[in-house]
Amino acid sequence: MTLNHGAFIDILASWEDPHYGGASPPPRKKLKRTQGGVGCDESCSSGGGKTEESLGGTASMQHQTEVTNGASVPQLNGSSDGGSAVTVNGVKDETKKALKLDPINRDMVRLIGQHLANLGFQSTVEQLMAESGCRLDHPEARRFKSSVVEGDWQAAEAALLELQSMLNNTTHLTEMRFLILEQKYMELLERGDDIGALNCLRGEISPLDHNISRVHRLSSLIFYNNPAELKKATNWLGSGPESHMALMERLSAYLPPSVMLPPRRLERLVIQSVQHQVATCEFHNTSIEPLLKVDNLEGLSLSDVVVSSSCLLTDHHCGKEHFPSTCLYTVTEHMDEVLVAAFSPNGRYLATAGKDFSLLIWNVDNTTLKISKRHCLDGHNFSIVFLSWSHDSTKIIACMHEDASELIVWDAERGKQVCKVSDSTSDSLTCACWYKDNERFVCGGLRGQFYLCNLEGAVLERWEGVRVQSLAVHADGKTVLASDTHRRIRGYQLETVQDYSILQEDHGIMTFSLDTTGRFALLNVTTQGLHLWDLNSRTLVRRFRGATQKHCTIHSCFGGINQDFIASGSEDHKVYIWHRNQELPVAVLSGHQLPVNCVTWNPVQPSMLVSVSDDRTIRIWGPSQTNRLNRDADAASTSGGLSDGDDDEPDSPRASNFQFPHSLISGLDISSH
Amino acid sequence: MGRVFLEHLGGARLFSCANCYAFLTNRKHLKSDRFTGATGPAFLFDKVVNLTYSEMQDREMLTGHHVVRDVFCKNCESMLGWFYEFASAENQRYKEGHVILEKALVVETEGLHSETA
Repeated sequence: MTLNHGAFIDILASWEDPHYGGASPPPRKKLKRTQGGVGCDESCSSGGGKTEESLGGTASMQHQTEVTNGASVPQLNGSSDGGSAVTVNGVKDETKKALKLDPINRDMVRLIGQHLANLGFQSTVEQLMAESGCRLDHPEARRFKSSVVEGDWQAAEAALLELQSMLNNTTHLTEMRFLILEQKYMELLERGDDIGALNCLRGEISPLDHNISRVHRLSSLIFYNNPAELKKATNWLGSGPESHMALMERLSAYLPPSVMLPPRRLERLVIQSVQHQVATCEFHNTSIEPLLKVDNLEGLSLSDVVVSSSCLLTDHHCGKEHFPSTCLYTVTEHMDEVLVAAFSPNGRYLATAGKDFSLLIWNVDNTTLKISKRHCLDGHNFSIVFLSWSHDSTKIIACMHEDASELIVWDAERGKQVCKVSDSTSDSLTCACWYKDNERFVCGGLRGQFYLCNLEGAVLERWEGVRVQSLAVHADGKTVLASDTHRRIRGYQLETVQDYSILQEDHGIMTFSLDTTGRFALLNVTTQGLHLWDLNSRTLVRRFRGATQKHCTIHSCFGGINQDFIASGSEDHKVYIWHRNQELPVAVLSGHQLPVNCVTWNPVQPSMLVSVSDDRTIRIWGPSQTNRLNRDADAASTSGGLSDGDDDEPDSPRASNFQFPHSLISGLDISSH
Repeated sequence: MGRVFLEHLGGARLFSCANCYAFLTNRKHLKSDRFTGATGPAFLFDKVVNLTYSEMQDREMLTGHHVVRDVFCKNCESMLGWFYEFASAENQRYKEGHVILEKALVVETEGLHSETA
């Protein structure tokens, strides 16, 4: 913001009187005197509910009135004291005194003024401040700011001392002085004035006796030969307005907001508001808001937010355009109940398997959301009950029913068997998980097997005495998490033979999975719904209600953008989707005719979900048909020139319940139970 | 049916379904082996897992009137015994909440060495 202190500051200074306008007559008297033009004054004076628009309107109207009356505009030329009444055609005009603002609205006006000033509407701001009796910043603070921005460190220090009484904390004063001197020192160094810099360091910075380690760091900088090296080593912006503004932003953090507004305050508030709206948006499943996840607002401008939220004038809200809300089609390739499904980590393949003993590998088209059969892998003698993809998406483990005593590792790309783990005929290997190296994996079963194996199918390590129900390798790459028959999850380090308790449930843990950060575990707990645990603090974060699961093993998964969502099958034939922050489901997908055993969310296409069921079908869920058609049409007409934002049409109603389109690609109708 | 989720209580001596070998309970939970069921000797347990239960039925037994439910294996659905909901006679109250498994319908096996019961 450009500064125009001097006379103007004096005007503002006169508003320091807390009884501003106290000497003026009450507004009604004035109203009687002014004709027509300032009719909105009544509402302005009537209370705190005023918005900026009407205030601005008042200002401009006021301005017009004065001009037509042939009077000067005292607030702008600074010749008036600004606080007293102005005589217009012999009539005392005290409009600006008529506005009584409560503290909240005074702050509002200051915020608006600051924003306008940033935009460059300097005279409007002056008018606004004069009229509202507010001021953006304390006059001393203004002087301080202008000195800093101009790089006049002497003046800045002097102004700072003036401000001393308004600071809440004396250490803040020292810190601020330190920051200013630091900048001064750096600039002297940059200029090559080593003597001056040394004097500054010795004579000014050191006596502050503040942040000694930083002082030492500063003193070491004197050995840099040229400014470029100096800047590179310290990440310093160099001298100049940009650097001065950055310094000012740091300094203003120490000034109370009554003295000086924090920089770009209104913008910050709006950004926070949009962030909050996005965070609480039920169906938010698009990748265009990574900016909004940033906790640090520094460097985030309002325009970034507007791009991502498309509009500031309405609340942010996502419809189901990017949400798997509709059954796109049904695949009936399996001959018996389908028990498990899993997307490969790269999203290019889908694997499904079940009681027909065959493992199907599908190619996934992530634009059309179509799947096509790649391999049908036979050679299993029992139902396939669990699948685990290697992290490089090349291999997959098929675990069979507990009577099988073996598991098979497949090369999913070529459709060839890699190895079998078959240690003993009495073994049971019903679950498995890969290590990060894609060379080793752990597997286990209810009969007490818990093995670390390699790609030859050899057992490298074994852990005795635990009946494993579900397995996962932690993000640290060393710890294996295993849920067992004692309703707990424990961590095991097979190489070093260490184990420790992580969590204990009161009911059986059917299955569990970890999110990509490895911090959260999602458990399907018998009769208790889904439990989300924080593994770091070892506490239960949330219970997700709705799904039924007591008789059969049901699998759930994390999914969607940022893994914000959780999906699970259910014995009531439905697929449940929750937002991670809400206990109740945001979507319940009907369609399957029998219990849904497993769901899997495409890791690279957040709007694609697949569920498998006892009804022998695979259902592919995606955005509703109409939206997909619109999008296709848009893409065709503009050859991809349109941004994703075009999908966020405001015409989509707030979707609290889903309406399924009646026409589906598949012949099967979606029935609601 | 999907994949039936089976629980396991562990233990040194395990009782399982004679038909499908699904785990039922262990010797720690055996309260009495002096009962008689439809097929002969039967065991009384205070805790049995992996069962499904029939509707409540009134049944006259040698020890008086009882309200019971028949119990079945959750995995293979074979009948295994019954569960006591309510005993009319005061001296039979201890059986409430307990399960009778008929000896002929279960098998007893060794557990893992590390498990004690």
